[in-house]
Amino acid sequence: MKRVLIVDDAAFMRMAIKNILVKHDFEVIDEAENGLVGLNKYKELRPDLVTMDITMPEMTGLEALKEIIAFDPNAKIVMVSAMGQEQMVMEAIRSGAKSFIVKPFKEDHVIQTLSKL
Amino acid sequence: MSDQYSTEPLLEMYLFETSQLLEQLEQSILSSEKESGYTEDAINEIFRIMHTIKGSSAMMLFDNIAKLAHSIEDLFFYIRKEKPEKMDLSALSDLVLEGVDFIKTEVDKIKGKSPADGNAEDLVTTSKTLLAELKQMNAVPDISLITPAPVAKSTAQTTAEDILETQHYYISQANTPVSNGTFAYKAVVHFEEGCEMENIRAYTIIHNLKETAGDLYYLPADIIDSDESVNIIRKDGFQIFITTDWDYRKMHDFLMQTIFLKDMELTSLENTSVLDQFKKKDTELVEKPIKMPTGKEVNVVEKSSRIPLQEKEALPTNTTQSIISVSVVKLDKLMDLVGEMVIAEAMVIQNPDLKGLQLSNFSKAANQLNKITSEIQDIVMSIRMVPLSATFIKMHRIVRDMCKKLDKDVQLEIIGEETEVDKNIIEHISDPLMHLVRNSVDHGIETTEERLEKGKPKSGTITLEAKNAGSDVLIIVRDDGKGLNKEKILKKAKENNLLFKNEEDMTDKEIYNLILLPGFSTKEKVTEFSGRGVGMDVVTKNIEAVGGTLSVDSVADKGTVITLKIPLTLAIIDGMNIKVGKSRYTIPTISIKESFRPKESEIIHDPDGNEMIMVRGECYAIRRLHDVYRVATNITRLSEGIIIMVEQDEKTVCVFADELLGQQQVVVKALPQYIQNFKKIRGLAGCTLLGDGSISLILDVARMFNH
Repeated sequence: MKRVLIVDDAAFMRMAIKNILVKHDFEVIDEAENGLVGLNKYKELRPDLVTMDITMPEMTGLEALKEIIAFDPNAKIVMVSAMGQEQMVMEAIRSGAKSFIVKPFKEDHVIQTLSKL
Repeated sequence: MSDQYSTEPLLEMYLFETSQLLEQLEQSILSSEKESGYTEDAINEIFRIMHTIKGSSAMMLFDNIAKLAHSIEDLFFYIRKEKPEKMDLSALSDLVLEGVDFIKTEVDKIKGKSPADGNAEDLVTTSKTLLAELKQMNAVPDISLITPAPVAKSTAQTTAEDILETQHYYISQANTPVSNGTFAYKAVVHFEEGCEMENIRAYTIIHNLKETAGDLYYLPADIIDSDESVNIIRKDGFQIFITTDWDYRKMHDFLMQTIFLKDMELTSLENTSVLDQFKKKDTELVEKPIKMPTGKEVNVVEKSSRIPLQEKEALPTNTTQSIISVSVVKLDKLMDLVGEMVIAEAMVIQNPDLKGLQLSNFSKAANQLNKITSEIQDIVMSIRMVPLSATFIKMHRIVRDMCKKLDKDVQLEIIGEETEVDKNIIEHISDPLMHLVRNSVDHGIETTEERLEKGKPKSGTITLEAKNAGSDVLIIVRDDGKGLNKEKILKKAKENNLLFKNEEDMTDKEIYNLILLPGFSTKEKVTEFSGRGVGMDVVTKNIEAVGGTLSVDSVADKGTVITLKIPLTLAIIDGMNIKVGKSRYTIPTISIKESFRPKESEIIHDPDGNEMIMVRGECYAIRRLHDVYRVATNITRLSEGIIIMVEQDEKTVCVFADELLGQQQVVVKALPQYIQNFKKIRGLAGCTLLGDGSISLILDVARMFNH
């Protein structure tokens, strides 16, 4: 079972992603409400996968992504983006994000994306 | 709402979080308005909140909310990025506040299980117009033509004509060759419909291939900064031309790993001549580095380097894990259980079977149990305590809106908002408080001209203050307006037959408090904000429902003070149990001044036959509980029973009962509906279970003798 860390400032989104993941044999090991907390939890828990929101206070998803990749170049991070954030997703891919999902997402989109990593 | 997301907890979370964000947003706007400008933090916050609401609402399929949030997000995206110098702040605040109101209304509809069917089109249009105006006002002509703001243009808005016009195919070479490439391939990749951002998915493939590729070209080539590329990829697929050391199998497997792959066609190319034609065109790498502002990164590093490493890792984790949100239902249940436990404990320790037994070990254990239960009780109570700040802060908006409409100038001052009360109580006082603040702005504070004439400061002040007073919390609403008009109140009271004693005998305070009686309202003109047919009596009723009281004081031309006294918590009180005949009653210990056995000589009778008692030179009325509640008892001589002197709401009465049973913590339970509704028994605050299993009625002494 893959261990997932969900990083998102919206509790609703974390719940929505978690609800989907737990139905499909993923284990959500923890959640973080901003990039900085996400980074620290990554270092502490070493999850197999991370879902990373982009727009967050304290430390954005992009900043956190770069820090995590610098710490662990093999980190598997999936960005959670919204329409209109194309440039930032591109930047994320260039910085080492493995893939991305687009809000509003569908259950099978999330699962397809995460199970291929 | 789609079935996929209709699970209750998710909806609940959506409603909870959205409401919270809206409050936050409203405060952010109001404080920005006060400081007559938006700080960078405020703009970021507003942008983020709208972004979050957009995302969650879109997920829940509340499209009208999502659309409105999106348009405001766009607006603040522009402000955040371009930092325009000229902004119509008032229009901006109005828009966002109206947006907040709209979303609030929709959220309320959803809470009430009705469809969120509000039409936000007007607001969306306003938002778009505002954005356009903002761009125009701050446009540097040349540059704005070349770089339209990226938000305004999304794939969805690109029309068919746009595509036809701009459908030229670019070819480009990717990174510096890593290998010479022994094999050449052409691949056409189609993505699944609805996977979104196909251009970036294509970019992901290229990004991952770069490592192994000799020559690498792709079509369309402008995948990075072109919206049309999405449409081309959707229609024709994404074409890749590559030379690499990978054999067919490896290349095929790699491409098959692509997420959202619908189908893929991989052909081996006999020679690299196809690729040569791209080379001739000499197109350069399109990939422009998109840099984040470096200042930001530096900041982050600076910030982190100041904190020692270990601390840095420990700190944020700790702060986040120390707070969790718990559903109120669970807390209510917990509170109920603690109540049951307190009763059960009393039932064990005060069990009639134990009477007269010498049980020293049992007593020790019982003491320990008692200590623990009261600790648990304190903790559970404290969990339910919520600061009044959220309720108080809401009033800013009310004052702002009313000032704008009534053209008055009023400052709202808030003191002691950190004072905490039980969650249930907060819910009950929010509306009355709103009503009081409205009254103050509407009826209390004069217009600017009137104020200047009277020599008062131009802007009026309303002070909202909370403080602890024993087991109660005082909430004081004070204004420096014109004060209450005694003559008018008396006249109105007479008209409505509300006077309960002679006009001349009434103190000022008694006159002012007449406005709290049902059916009283002196304002002839009904305005939008106050006096909607409900008066202060509704406020009184609401406050009394949570066991609180209300008092009014006023000085002409100086202002009015309304004081709410509410209990900290409803659930468990310290009570004195008393006995009358076979019945038990409980009086809240806090209101008992003393108890004593009277001497016959101290009793006085007035001409109407009412009994009074002299205590230290003061005369108090005696009320016999057995008479009040018509309970049969053998003890009717005052010198055989006991008198309990009770003070509540500045009234003191002496209650006569058979005997005191002892003091204990009692759990307040509501009276059954049929007693509340049909019997209308005066002076009962609730009931409780005693240690021996009998039921005791909790007395509300002040109300028992109000008449």
